[in-house]
Amino acid sequence: MSIEHKTGRPIGELIREGEDPEQLYGELRAAFERDCSEALTAQQGQALRDRWLGRRSGLLSATNDHWLKAAPRELKPVVGKLQNLLRRDVEAAVKAAAEAAAREQVQAEPELDTTLPGPGRAYGAVHPVRLALEEVLDIFRPLGYSVAEGPEIETFFYNFEALNFPPDHPAVDEMDTLFLEDGALLRTHTSPCQIRIMESESPPLRYVVHGKVYRNDTPDATHSPMFHQLEMFAVDESITFGDLKGTLEHFVRRFFGPQTQARFRPSFFPFTEPSAEVDITCPFCSDGACRICKQTGFIEVLGCGMIDPNVLRNAGLDPERYQGFAAGFGLDRFAMLKYNIDDILLMYQGDSRFLRQFR
Amino acid sequence: MRILLSWLRDFVEIKESPRELADALTMAGMAVDAVESEAGETVFEFDITSNRPDAMNHFGMAREVAAIYRRPLRAPSTACAESGPPAASKASVAIQDPDGCVRYVGRVFTDVEARPSPDWMRRRLELCGIRSINNLADLTNYVLLEIGQPTHAFDLDRLAGAAIVVRRARHGETLVTLDGEERDLTDGHLTICDAERPVALAGVMGGQASEITAETRNVLLEAAWFRPSVIRNAARGFKLFTEASHRFERGADWNAAPRAADRIAALLARTGLGRVLPGQVDCFPQQPRLSLIRLERTHIRRHLGIQVDDAEVEGILSALGFEPSSDKSGWSVPAVSHRLDVERGIDLIEEVARIHGFANIPATLPLVGAAPEPTPQAAEDARMRAAVRGLGYDETIGFAFISSDEAGRFGSDDPVSLRNPLSQLWDVMRNSAVPTMVRALEWNLRRNQPFVRLAEFGRVYRRSEASYEEPGVLTLGATGTARQASWAEPAREVGFYDIKADIAVLLAPFLANAPSIVTEGVPTYYRKKHAAGLRSDGELLAWFGELDPELARERKIRQPVWVAEIFLDKVYGKGLRRPTHGKLAKVPAVSRDFSLLVPDAIDFASITEAVGEMPDLDSVEPAEVFRGKNVPDGSYSLLLRVWWQRLDESLTDEEVNEFAAELRSRLQSRLGITTRT
Ligand SMILES: [Zn+2]
Repeated sequence: MSIEHKTGRPIGELIREGEDPEQLYGELRAAFERDCSEALTAQQGQALRDRWLGRRSGLLSATNDHWLKAAPRELKPVVGKLQNLLRRDVEAAVKAAAEAAAREQVQAEPELDTTLPGPGRAYGAVHPVRLALEEVLDIFRPLGYSVAEGPEIETFFYNFEALNFPPDHPAVDEMDTLFLEDGALLRTHTSPCQIRIMESESPPLRYVVHGKVYRNDTPDATHSPMFHQLEMFAVDESITFGDLKGTLEHFVRRFFGPQTQARFRPSFFPFTEPSAEVDITCPFCSDGACRICKQTGFIEVLGCGMIDPNVLRNAGLDPERYQGFAAGFGLDRFAMLKYNIDDILLMYQGDSRFLRQFR
Repeated sequence: MRILLSWLRDFVEIKESPRELADALTMAGMAVDAVESEAGETVFEFDITSNRPDAMNHFGMAREVAAIYRRPLRAPSTACAESGPPAASKASVAIQDPDGCVRYVGRVFTDVEARPSPDWMRRRLELCGIRSINNLADLTNYVLLEIGQPTHAFDLDRLAGAAIVVRRARHGETLVTLDGEERDLTDGHLTICDAERPVALAGVMGGQASEITAETRNVLLEAAWFRPSVIRNAARGFKLFTEASHRFERGADWNAAPRAADRIAALLARTGLGRVLPGQVDCFPQQPRLSLIRLERTHIRRHLGIQVDDAEVEGILSALGFEPSSDKSGWSVPAVSHRLDVERGIDLIEEVARIHGFANIPATLPLVGAAPEPTPQAAEDARMRAAVRGLGYDETIGFAFISSDEAGRFGSDDPVSLRNPLSQLWDVMRNSAVPTMVRALEWNLRRNQPFVRLAEFGRVYRRSEASYEEPGVLTLGATGTARQASWAEPAREVGFYDIKADIAVLLAPFLANAPSIVTEGVPTYYRKKHAAGLRSDGELLAWFGELDPELARERKIRQPVWVAEIFLDKVYGKGLRRPTHGKLAKVPAVSRDFSLLVPDAIDFASITEAVGEMPDLDSVEPAEVFRGKNVPDGSYSLLLRVWWQRLDESLTDEEVNEFAAELRSRLQSRLGITTRT
C-alpha cells in the first residue's frame, strides 16, 4: 500500500495492521524528500505546494484529519509532534522552492537599456528675478528683516515729497515718472513703502521691501519701463553708517561670493544723508580686464545711505531719537549679473526657452 | 562735465598722477567716469550729482582737490586795468522782482573789437567741448567753465535807454531769442528788459535784438543770480535747456556774480580786446539770509559710528570754504553762498565723512533688537508657488501695461489710464492679466514651441472708493502637448480637464470642501461651454477654460490655448487649511459599477447631486464616458463607479446590494435614468 493511500486511512486501523506512527511519518517524509530532490520550476513548486499543503486535498491535510485528529488519546502527543515537524519542513521547502522559482523568473526577464531617457516630466522654472529675490531674502531674513511689498500705484507725496525730493527739483525729472490721469503715479522706486512702514510701525524696524517699479524709459537691452527693485532699511536709536557698511559688506559677500569686496563712494540721493554708491570688486575677473566691469575691476551695484532726518520726520519719527540706514538696488540687474543675462527684455517676454534655463 | 588737469593747477598744487587724482576725487563723491589724454592734456570726464552745482566748474573742483589734500586754494585773478568814465554813468540796472532776481551785476566795456580769442583760451574751450565763436562769447563761456557763473553780454548800444530792468514780462510781450524763435511771454516769465521791452529770458537765453555782432563796440555784461524755481519753470515751459539754465536751476552763487564780472573784465583787459570802464553796477537789494548751522560733536559719532578729531573736522570744513567756530560741544558754522546744499548739521557731517573718507569708517553690524514681523500671506504664497512649479508651469513675468482695447475686451473694471503712456499698446494698467498671458503664449507659438506651460504671479489694477486696489492674480497659460512626447509615452494634446485638474491641486491646500463649479457668467473671452469657474463659500476663486477661438485667430494663434485666472486675494484670504488626521479604514472599500445611458442635458454634477447623501458612501466616480457607436444620439454612456466604506468592519454583500438598489432608485426617480446592469 502506497504511503499516499495510507494517509487516507484512520491511524487506528493502520496501527492495528502493524504500522506505528514513527514509521508512517518516516515513509511520508521519504516521499516528500523524493518530491523535491531536484530543482523545481515555478510550476513544479506550485504542484508541490498543492500536493502537500493544499487546503482540501493536500497530504498534510489528510494526515491532520485521519492520523492526528483520529489518533487514540495516548498516541496524540507523539502524532502531533511528528505532524508538526513534518509540516514545518514542508512549508520551509515549499517557500524556498517558490523563492527560487521567482528568482529564476526575474533572471529570465530581458535586460533594460538603462541609457534610454525617462519620459519627460515638466518641473516649472522659477523666474530669474524671483530666484535672485529668494537668494536676497535668505540673506536678510536671518538678520531679523521682515518683508513687505507695498502698492505700485502711489501718490506724489509718498514717492517724492515724503522722501525729501524738493517739489521743484531736477531730481524729480530724472525719475522719468509715469503718471495716472488723476495725478497719482506708478512708483519709481520701492522707497515710498519705507515711509508707509515707518508711519504705521514703531522702531526698531528692519525691513526688506521689494516689488515692481516703473520708469518712462524706452525699452532696450538695459532699460525696461517696468523692473524690480529691492530696498532694505533699518531704523533704531543707535544705527550708524558703520552698521550700514557692515550689513552691506556681509550681503554682497553672501550674494556675489566670499571674495567680494565693497567700496563705498559718496553720492547723492534726496532721501539719504550721507549717501553712498556701492561698487563691488568684479566677480567675473580678478584683474579688471573683462567686459562686465568695463575694464575697471569694479561694478556699481547699489545705492545707500543714512536715512535723511527730513524723511524720518515726514514719516512721523523723531530724528533726534531715531536714525537708520537704507539701501536699494535693481533685482533685475542683480539677476542679470548673477545668471549672465545680457538683455533685460528677456525677463518680460515669457519665452519658454529662456525660462527653462532656470528650472 | 569735462575738467582739464592744467586748469585745475591754476588754483591748486597737484603732485599726484591723473589716475591717483581721479581715484581720490571719486572716493570723495566726485565720480570720474574716464581719464583721457588729448593733445598732451589730461581731461577728466566727471559725472557730478545734481546737488553739487558748485563743483561743475574748474575752480569748484579745485576746491575739492584742496580739501582732499589739505592744500591752499588760489582764486582766479581779477586784477584789471580800468579807464574812462565810471560804468554807472553809462548804464543803469534796476531790479523790479527782487524775489526772482536776487543780484544783478553789470560791467561796461567799450571799444570792443571782434577778434579771435587767444590760442590758449580757444584750446581750453575746445578741450572742454566748446567751439570758439568770438572773443566776447568765448570769454563768457570760459568764465562759466572756470567758476560756474553764467554771464551774458548785451550790445549796450542796442539797449534802449542804456538801461537794464529785471521784471516779470507783461501779458502780450514777445521776445525773439538767440535761436531765432519768437516766444510769447506771460507774467510768469522773468525777463531782462531795456527801457522799453524784454531783451532776454532771464537765466535761460538772450534776445536776438541785443545780440553781440561784428559791429558791436560797447558791451554791457550781466552776471546775476536768479531763483532756481523761476528758471526751471521757464526752461521747462519753453523746452529750452541751456548751459545757463542748467546752472541756475541747480543753484548758483550770488557772491560769484561780481567775481565773474571782474574776471571777465580782467581777461578782456589782459587780451587787449577792449576797454574796461571803472566799477561795477551792482544791484543787490537784499542779501539773502543764510542760517547758522549747528554741528554737535556727539552727532558725528552718533551718525558715523566713529569720532573724528576736532582738527580734522575744522580742517575739512575750512578747506571747503566754511568758517567753523568751535565751542564746548561742537561748532557753529555759517552757511555759505557757494554751498546752498549745506544747511543742517547732518549736511556738515556728510562733508566731514566724505572728505575724511568712507573707507576710514569701520564696518560694524547692528544688534537685532526685535523679532521680524511675519509677512502676510507668505506661507500661502510659498505653497502656491511650489505647487505651480511642481505641476510644470514655468514662471513668467509680464508688463503691467496693456492697451485700452485689450482692457475693454478682457477686463470688467474701467481700466486705470496713464497720462503719459510709453505707447498706445501700453496706455492703461491691466485690469486683467489674461491679455499679458495671451501675448506670452503667442510669443512662444511664433517660435514653434510645442509645449508651453506658463504661470504668472502678478497684480491687476483698479480704482477703489478712496484710491486704488491691486489684487493679486495667478494666471496660467497652456497650449500644445499635455506632456512632452517620448519613446515611452505618446504625445497628448492638453485639454480642459488637464487645467481643471491642475487648479484642483492648487486650491486643495486652502479649501476644506471641494469648490462648486460655476457655468453661468463665464467671461466672453473664454470659448462658450469650454470654460467654467470655481466658487467656494460664495466667493469666485477662479475662471479657466479655452480662449475664445475668434480672439485667438485675431492674434494669429491657430491652436487651442488654455488659460486660467486664480484670484489670489480670495484664495490666500481663506488661509491654509489646517490638516487634521481622521481614522483610517481597517478594511478595504467596496465598489459597484453602474452602466447608465444619460441624456446630454444631464451633466455629471446633476448625477452626483441625484445620488446625494447615503450612509457609508465613499465616492462616486465617472469610470468611463462614451459617445458614438451603439449609443443613441443625444445621449452618452456613463460607467459610474461607486465606492462604499465602513471604517471598522466589512460591508456585507447584502448591505452593498441594498445601497446599490437605493442608488438605482434615486437615479430613476430623480433623473429618470435607468441603469443597464
Ligand atoms: Zn571684470
